[in-house]
Amino acid sequence: MRVLKKLLIFSGVAATLPALWYTLIAGQAAPTRPFADVFTPHEEFQFDPPKPGSYTLNRFKTVPDGHVLDVNGQRHSLAALTKGKINLVSFVYLMCGDENGCPIAMSTLFEIHDASQKLPGLREDVQLITISFDPARDTVEAINSFAYPLQIDANADQKLKWHVLTSADLTDLQPILDGFGQVIDRSNDQEVINHLLRMYLVDREGIVRNVYGLGTIDPRLLITDVETLLLEESRS
Amino acid sequence: MNRREFGALVVAAAAAAGPFRAFADETCQSPYMPKITGQEEFVYVWTLGVEGMGDEQDKLVTIDLRPDSPMRGQVINSLSVGGRNEAHHGGFSADRRYFWTGGLDTNRIFIFDVHTDPSKPSLHKTIESFVKDSGGVVGPHTFFALPGSMMITGLSNDDDHGGRTALVEYNDAGDYVATYWMPTTSDMQGAVAVGDAVADGYGYDIRALIRKNIMLTSSFTGWSNYMMDFGQMLQDTDAMKRFGNTIVQWDLHTRQPRKVFNVPGAPLEIRFPWGPNANYAFSTTALTSKLWLIYEDDSGEWQAKDVADIGNPADIPLPVDISIAADDQTLWVNSFMDGKTRLFDISDPHNPSQIYEKTIDRQVNMVSQSWDGKRVYFSSSLLANWDKKGDDDVQYLRAYTWDGKELIEDFDIDFYKLGLGRAHIMRFGSSELYTS
Repeated sequence: MRVLKKLLIFSGVAATLPALWYTLIAGQAAPTRPFADVFTPHEEFQFDPPKPGSYTLNRFKTVPDGHVLDVNGQRHSLAALTKGKINLVSFVYLMCGDENGCPIAMSTLFEIHDASQKLPGLREDVQLITISFDPARDTVEAINSFAYPLQIDANADQKLKWHVLTSADLTDLQPILDGFGQVIDRSNDQEVINHLLRMYLVDREGIVRNVYGLGTIDPRLLITDVETLLLEESRS
Repeated sequence: MNRREFGALVVAAAAAAGPFRAFADETCQSPYMPKITGQEEFVYVWTLGVEGMGDEQDKLVTIDLRPDSPMRGQVINSLSVGGRNEAHHGGFSADRRYFWTGGLDTNRIFIFDVHTDPSKPSLHKTIESFVKDSGGVVGPHTFFALPGSMMITGLSNDDDHGGRTALVEYNDAGDYVATYWMPTTSDMQGAVAVGDAVADGYGYDIRALIRKNIMLTSSFTGWSNYMMDFGQMLQDTDAMKRFGNTIVQWDLHTRQPRKVFNVPGAPLEIRFPWGPNANYAFSTTALTSKLWLIYEDDSGEWQAKDVADIGNPADIPLPVDISIAADDQTLWVNSFMDGKTRLFDISDPHNPSQIYEKTIDRQVNMVSQSWDGKRVYFSSSLLANWDKKGDDDVQYLRAYTWDGKELIEDFDIDFYKLGLGRAHIMRFGSSELYTS
């Protein structure tokens, strides 16, 4: 698929590429369109997701740049990691036990990651990014252990790429949190970091196109927004 | 790993880690917001400046509610904003760190930092470009927090200063995001008028039921009326025709209008209950003095009907603010003209009944209650040109305790005696919300 994409660009049809590309994905995934159909509805979300492309996703803000570390300790520019892909970005800390916090984000991301196998080709356009806001405890070794099941997944190449990231320290982390608007409060209990659950949809240009909180982190909504972005690209 | 498997891990982790800190809140706020379920420490009062009184400016007044404070029941801070703007409503950001307030006349939006020192808010940012940003919306009214953004209802427009208006969304940093015009008969935007509803395009309040992906907006009147002298307006036949008669159902996620309900007589505040199976909302109509229920019927369709009178509608008591209890069993309903508050039993939302009433003063507007319902606060001002005149123009914040049978006065603050101005919306604060 990537070869075909390069060929299309080389042949001078780059301007129409998104439309062609979406057609290819849609064609492959025809039995499961819309994308949300690959998920089983959860009882806490008592509505049907909207029709993909039937609405406009706003442009909330430009995502900040900053330095992050991957599971191998490699230092990356966050902007470089996100650019060119549609990103579902979440902030968590691995020790979080708040059932209305990080575990909801993580279970939703695992669900999307697993289901993406049923949406062939989607990994060319979409990726998951999870950033720890607890660099002191979520070290490179810790996130590497956390991400181990992803690394040994035999079907990983058929699923969305998932970047699990941390940072060297709070100096590197804080501008990223501030830029996204992810608020955290370090409580007197050193074990607990109070935070509001947030996830972000970021487009290929690094613009936040939607923000999700408790009650809206529905994998069907997230993937419908992703599909809407792809449709937007195909129409532009 | 599927969601259920992950959930099991979460439960195990929770059991191991022990109890978690629970955020808490008063009963009528955005459901996205941390809540104060315990003791509120402060009440912030967005106050209209009065010509010839004190510094004559609009101001955010902070009152101490801490039980062990020697200043309890007293004003501990007043932050003036440099002029009069027709200060009206306000709402916290979803992270509850900032309190956004609006001026209905100047269209300025003042964003106060309430987290750095909750006892002493500071002015963080002023948005001067609301009309230009929004493409002509006038009168920023309700501030309803969404994740990462603030949805603001308008009351009017800068074309004819009538009631046609829109919702305007800003991001948390105070940058403009989008405008969503209310549906009108000439541009329904895909919405359907239910029965004999006529889409008037008016706006007022906004609330959402997240798990149903439902957002509701109500409708009041435009700048030409809310800035007019109340007595003069009542005599103006044409002006009295310029009130909203609709509640609009929106798709919360897409921000698209779906249905327009006929709710005659200016439906104002909207309140959803908190129960996990409570699929309805209440509103009241200012001019027709009715309690309305907007509800999901057995077929999953949303409907609207009036379910009770508020006082004697023929007397035009002018219902204003309402406050639903956290257990969804009762609803406080204030009426401005007779200065009364009434408590309705709403345990059967289709058949509410009044169970208590008390005259608060010669005029009353806003009501806020603590999460446990034991503390109830009232304030006085409606609009600068609609408040009563002379001795009837009392301006106050008054605190009561509710013992389940009677409102018992706790303390009273006379805003005129202190040279503050007209007391309007109240919102609670607490240092317990912030740990750094």
